[in-house]
Amino acid sequence: MPEIAVDALSMSFGTNQVLDNVSFTVHEREFLTLLGPSGCGKTTTLMSVAGFLRPDSGRISCGTQAFYDHAAKIYLAAEDRNLGIVFQSYAIWPHMTVFENVAFPLKVRKVKGEPRRRRVMETLGLVEMADYAARYPHELSGGQQQRVALARALVYSPSVLLLDEPFSNLDAKLRERARTWLMGLQRDLGLTTLFVTHDQDEALSLSDRIVVMNKGSILQVGPPEEIYRRPDHRFVAEFLGHCNIFTGHVTHVQDQLATVQLDTTQQRLTLPVGAGAPGDQIDVVVRPEAIILSEDLSQLSQGVNTYRAKVRSRAFLGDHYVYELELAGLPLTVTHPTAFSAAELTVHIPVEACRAMTNHTETTLI
Amino acid sequence: MTTLTHAPPSAARLRRLLPASAVQAVTWLVVVVGVLLPIVPLLYASVQDRPIYEAGGVFTVSPYRQLFADPAFWQTVRNTLEFATIATGLSVALGGAAAVACSRTDILGRRVWTKLLLLPILLPPLGVILGWNALYGPGGYATNFITRTLHIPLNLTSVIGMSALGTVVAMPVAFLICQASLANVESSLEDAARSVGARPLRVLSRVIVPMMRPALLNSALLIFTLCIESLGIALILGAPAGNEFVASYLYNTWSNASTIDPGAVSAGAMILLLCAVGLLLLRRVLLGSEARFISVTGRGRGSDKLLELGRIWRPILGVVVALYLLITTFAPILALALQSSVSLLTPLEAPWHLWTAGNWRQLGQPVFMSSIRNSVEIAAVGAVLTTAVVALATTVAHRSTFKLRGSLQFIMMFPRSMPGIIVGIGFFWTFVLVNPPGSALRNSIWGIVLALSIRSLTLAYLVLYPALAAVSSSLDDAARSAGAGWWMTMRRVVLPILRPALLASFILLFVSILNDYDPALFLVTPGHEIMGVTMLDSLKQGSTGPAAALAMVQVAVTVVAIVIGTAVLGRRSRRTHA
Repeated sequence: MPEIAVDALSMSFGTNQVLDNVSFTVHEREFLTLLGPSGCGKTTTLMSVAGFLRPDSGRISCGTQAFYDHAAKIYLAAEDRNLGIVFQSYAIWPHMTVFENVAFPLKVRKVKGEPRRRRVMETLGLVEMADYAARYPHELSGGQQQRVALARALVYSPSVLLLDEPFSNLDAKLRERARTWLMGLQRDLGLTTLFVTHDQDEALSLSDRIVVMNKGSILQVGPPEEIYRRPDHRFVAEFLGHCNIFTGHVTHVQDQLATVQLDTTQQRLTLPVGAGAPGDQIDVVVRPEAIILSEDLSQLSQGVNTYRAKVRSRAFLGDHYVYELELAGLPLTVTHPTAFSAAELTVHIPVEACRAMTNHTETTLI
Repeated sequence: MTTLTHAPPSAARLRRLLPASAVQAVTWLVVVVGVLLPIVPLLYASVQDRPIYEAGGVFTVSPYRQLFADPAFWQTVRNTLEFATIATGLSVALGGAAAVACSRTDILGRRVWTKLLLLPILLPPLGVILGWNALYGPGGYATNFITRTLHIPLNLTSVIGMSALGTVVAMPVAFLICQASLANVESSLEDAARSVGARPLRVLSRVIVPMMRPALLNSALLIFTLCIESLGIALILGAPAGNEFVASYLYNTWSNASTIDPGAVSAGAMILLLCAVGLLLLRRVLLGSEARFISVTGRGRGSDKLLELGRIWRPILGVVVALYLLITTFAPILALALQSSVSLLTPLEAPWHLWTAGNWRQLGQPVFMSSIRNSVEIAAVGAVLTTAVVALATTVAHRSTFKLRGSLQFIMMFPRSMPGIIVGIGFFWTFVLVNPPGSALRNSIWGIVLALSIRSLTLAYLVLYPALAAVSSSLDDAARSAGAGWWMTMRRVVLPILRPALLASFILLFVSILNDYDPALFLVTPGHEIMGVTMLDSLKQGSTGPAAALAMVQVAVTVVAIVIGTAVLGRRSRRTHA
């Protein structure tokens, strides 16, 4: 399977810029996810690759074939791109049986008779739907419809698989199973896959790499762990999981460590720094699960970034507790497996758990 | 998975031979030319100093001046406006009330009334008019009883009397539109009002009626448009007593003129057209483009909770509706049936003394037989052709990238506001000017097929567009991504899904073309009559019996078509759509 290269894609509806210089590559056999809130341009990007939307400028290619090239005036119709798409609504044709739905792409390609039947049944077997070949779509559950949609997208061995929020119509339990199952299938078949979702859990668990988008632009590209642990933008940090954000300014830098004076309090925070100048206004992101809590007050004097905090509330979430704390007037959310009942706790924020970025700008400081 | 390398779809080659855009362009052209065909020559004829088939005509506005100078014309304008105002006001009030009663209350016989109240628009208008005439007209079967015994001043030939009939005929339009808008309103809104302590009547006046306001406005504008072009009522009832409407005045001027001199008629028709177009534009401005389709989107969840009328009002209101239906619809049709089977329908003699099969036997005459055959043929052919063209045009308008697709959406709404008389006169001139094939069309049933098909185009669009809009566009995207081109996507995916709507469109068009007659009045040539025209001719000659028998045939064919249609549609609607 070839790779998909998207290069400098831009598009606007009237004065509304929906895609702003979007570039990324889906490597061969890779599972790449476009992640972002609704309206961020992820579906617009996917539909541009599919050929249902025509961008204003840029280039999209699949292997050596150009799908769209503004400069060279190339625009390949959707039906000539040989891509497999699973739509959010599944888009199973209601007047055709499961078999006829899956057979349609082969009919278009003039595959006839026994080879067609064999191929359809083989693909239905692959998605574990062979027993349902004679059913009509309305006789299937949501999960089964999704598999039929996938079979229809795979039956002609398309060069790339495009998935537009395929799990959003499934209930929570089924969604998790479908996710595991799809991941297995994708790895087994070695499908080059472009996936669109607004669900961070889906993106983190399925992807080889994630492209985080907002307002038509790409903010960060990388493997799930890197995106989660080392967000480059405040938006990325906030969108993927919960986080605490402090604002403050750098007072001094020494031995690869920066000291930050937090706004509105006397507290200071020490964090790792590559380059940075005293006086810079920055945001510090700390994940709730990275913070260490203790009832032991003696730890208070030891080490940097250790504070006293008042417990405002505690919620039980099954495998952990969520604490809402107040640290010198600043709200702080911490998740921790232990149940503490004290009214005040010792809070330790490990230096390496802090991630700094310049205040309200799109460029990283560190 | 075994790899299977398919060449890119070979359909691409075929597409190059027959590009989808060519199909789209041809469809667009057919619809646009078809709709404009009757208008352009009419406009031209109205500003010429002599009939346009004569050479040497020069531009003039004298036809308009001539028309405006005629006091009779202004009298018909006053009559028409009075008729349209009364009929619109009453029918919207009645239709709105009936819609509320049938979709929001537990009125006795709710389900039955919901269907039966629609009858007047499905039944042949001429049949209904003849039935009313037989029952309530001068010398009608019930007229004496009503005026002498009940002392109700009833004069069906007066403008007020005709307005009563106009109200009855237009009421189903308001009923349908209001019912559709009510079906889209969640009954939880009413429940909310009840829960804060509002009594049912207050819920009705404070919640339901205000929410219906757009639907009431929409139906009022539509009905007013239909009223000002109304021809049959005045032609049969008012004209003999000297109460003409604009349309009947134009028709009588046209058919009584010693020379074919319809400059003034064309001018009058242009004025009617301008009014209709003005009202159409007004509707668009007031209601936004979506409201145009309200009349057929009545697929809401049949409201689950109904207002309880209580032990007294529930049967009383049920009886009121039953009486309304009896007086306005069933009794006139019964009178029509009676009239077709007696030598003379009169309250002075018991009908079984005057029993005769003579009227029905007269239908065996060639002119009657051929007009029945022609009507059915025209309706069948026209319904098939129009459904096919409009189906294609609707997909071009809403599911293609064709550049001029936006214009189709407007143009397909247009024939509905084109008065039948304009379609008739317009096509008459077109056939005169564009010859061949003009006279060949005029001397066969095809000219009438064309005119009546164009006129019913909007109806097909109103059925097919909402059905198409309900088909998610991801279904065609899926077919495109699977490698199918536009044409194949439409043929294999979209149109097959629309099958129930196509069938519904066919049935509706069959009935509507079968019962339409006003354009044909101007186009008919000997040997190519249709039922409506023959009926009016035999009325003119004073033979009401055979006309009534012919009207009964029309009613019978209509009822059979509707019964078959609903049965087939009912069986088909099992499959749910994505």
